[in-house]
Amino acid sequence: MGKNGNRPMILTEDLWKTYEMGSEKIHALHGVSFEIRQNEYVAIMGPSGSGKSTLMNVIGCLDTPSQGKYYINDRLVSELSDDELAYIRNKEIGFVFQTFNLLSRATALHNVELPLIYNGTPSVERLERAKASLVKVDLGDRMGHKPNELSGGQRQRVAIARALVNNPSIILADEPTGNLDTATGVEIMNLFERLWEQGNTIVLVTHEHDIAAHANRIIHLRDGRIERDEIVRQVEAQKPQPQTTEAAT
Amino acid sequence: MNINLTESSKIALNALRTHKLRSFLTLLGVIIGVMTVITVVSIIEGLDAYVKNQVLQFGSDTFSVQKFPNFVTSFEQFLEYNKRRDLTVEDMKAIEERCEKCKAAAAVQSKNGTVKVGTQSIEDVEIRGVTVNAPFMGQIMELSEGRHFTDFDIDHAAHRVIIGADVAEKLLAGRDPIGLELKINEVPFEIIGVAKKTGSFFGQSLDNFVRIPMTMYQRIFGARDSVFIQIQAYRESEVPQAMDEVRLIMRSRQHTPYNKDDGFSMETAATFIDLWENFSRGIFVVTIAISSIALVVGGVVIMNIMLVSVRERTREIGIRKAIGARRRDILVQFMIEAITLSGVGGLVGALLGLSIAFVISALSPLPVTIRWWSVLMGMGLASSVGLFFGIYPASRAAKLDPIVALRFE
Repeated sequence: MGKNGNRPMILTEDLWKTYEMGSEKIHALHGVSFEIRQNEYVAIMGPSGSGKSTLMNVIGCLDTPSQGKYYINDRLVSELSDDELAYIRNKEIGFVFQTFNLLSRATALHNVELPLIYNGTPSVERLERAKASLVKVDLGDRMGHKPNELSGGQRQRVAIARALVNNPSIILADEPTGNLDTATGVEIMNLFERLWEQGNTIVLVTHEHDIAAHANRIIHLRDGRIERDEIVRQVEAQKPQPQTTEAAT
Repeated sequence: MNINLTESSKIALNALRTHKLRSFLTLLGVIIGVMTVITVVSIIEGLDAYVKNQVLQFGSDTFSVQKFPNFVTSFEQFLEYNKRRDLTVEDMKAIEERCEKCKAAAAVQSKNGTVKVGTQSIEDVEIRGVTVNAPFMGQIMELSEGRHFTDFDIDHAAHRVIIGADVAEKLLAGRDPIGLELKINEVPFEIIGVAKKTGSFFGQSLDNFVRIPMTMYQRIFGARDSVFIQIQAYRESEVPQAMDEVRLIMRSRQHTPYNKDDGFSMETAATFIDLWENFSRGIFVVTIAISSIALVVGGVVIMNIMLVSVRERTREIGIRKAIGARRRDILVQFMIEAITLSGVGGLVGALLGLSIAFVISALSPLPVTIRWWSVLMGMGLASSVGLFFGIYPASRAAKLDPIVALRFE
């Protein structure tokens, strides 16, 4: 998988994303450069309109930058075809959304299986891995339930299990607690903490300080630029050290 | 990939179950289209088997010489053929004597009339004048009782009659018919034989006849009408040579100049089958034209409903793309849905078509052959409609931008 500590897992160089609104050009990303190494726990913070959603979409390969380079595990994403992007989304990235985004007609187990279906995993292995993934998020007893039979926290855990099932390089969480009450939010954040401790790389997009505070490193975005990139919690020596790459403005 | 297939068809079937009325209206066009095809196919297949069976009974080594061809397509033609000379028993005898490839020949003539036994009578019985070979050629007549005509009966215009099974049933009800007296147009005959029952053709009984010697027939009805001559070759392969010989004999008897057309028509079982096949092919073409209109309309409706479905499920498509579905995966998913949807329509249409065919065969004399593969054919037909009209909605779904789709409310 190319997860080695020395090479950055994610590397962006001068990312621009420009939208044209009539004659006006709007820069959602204004030259963003940073890198994320294996087993980092990064929060991308900023007010709405700061470009954090755009950045997340680019990192998640749902969107492509207008300019600049984005490497994920040394692969230059901006040059990939549609199918290759789908492959990266499938294998390298595990999405967790604010609104959970589960298929409402499918059971928890089937939702978790879905990414494996799209990469052609044989059915026996698929079932095993989906089950294991649900056990990891403590939903071993809810596999046959459909999303509307689960609580908000449980739904989000199904989504996390789905994100984990392909052993992605990074877990990309977009306001994962935005639709949950505080207690459940804490529960989910504890789960992320645990996943990070198990060696996963987590990128969290949020506008809440309390949530961002769970991460080890916070990238502050404002007006499409990185305002501040700070390490908020030092981790043990064997974990790779994040680097402060830029402090623009 | 294959779970994607079963899953997609499940989604489609589920949608059918939850929106029954909508699904029915959606599939109406396809149902009607397939139903029409299946009904017509069943009827044509039935007629086909029936006609061929009947024609083959006529015998593939046998052909006929007649004044009119089997099919006259216009009144002008009829007038033209009507000018031809009547064929006579002498023509038949000449053929029998001079044609070397011919094994036997027979002449038949018929008219409807009234027959009577005692005080009981039936009208509209086919009265046939025959020569001695007639029962053994073409549609063979077997007897259940009694004997056939002999040369003596024919030559001496014997007052003897062989009766069909219907006549025996209606007039003699259980009595031993042999030796009883039967009157045809008030002329008395002695019953010498009863024919075996042969059934009916298009609802018309084939057993409602009496046979008398040709000589006797012409005494009663006159010798003015043309006779129907049947000729049997020694072998099926020699039919063409036999026909050539007969043609020469007939042309010389009728003094036809070399540059004029025949003054008679010759027909074989094969020419009849050819005609029939042309006819049934025509019906097929018309049916396919009509049902393809229904199928195209049905296809457009399916396309429309699929576009609605794609719109309703934009978010689902976004989710699937976010977790790694390629365009192809989405395309296949919606294609399968369209095909499943229309395939169900095809199944319903095929079953309805078969039921209609079944009812027709039960209520009318039309013979109907129910072929179970026609269900598969109907489903295949409908599925290809779904395939074709599913392409556009499915490619719309596949081309959706994942971010736009995910944000869709």
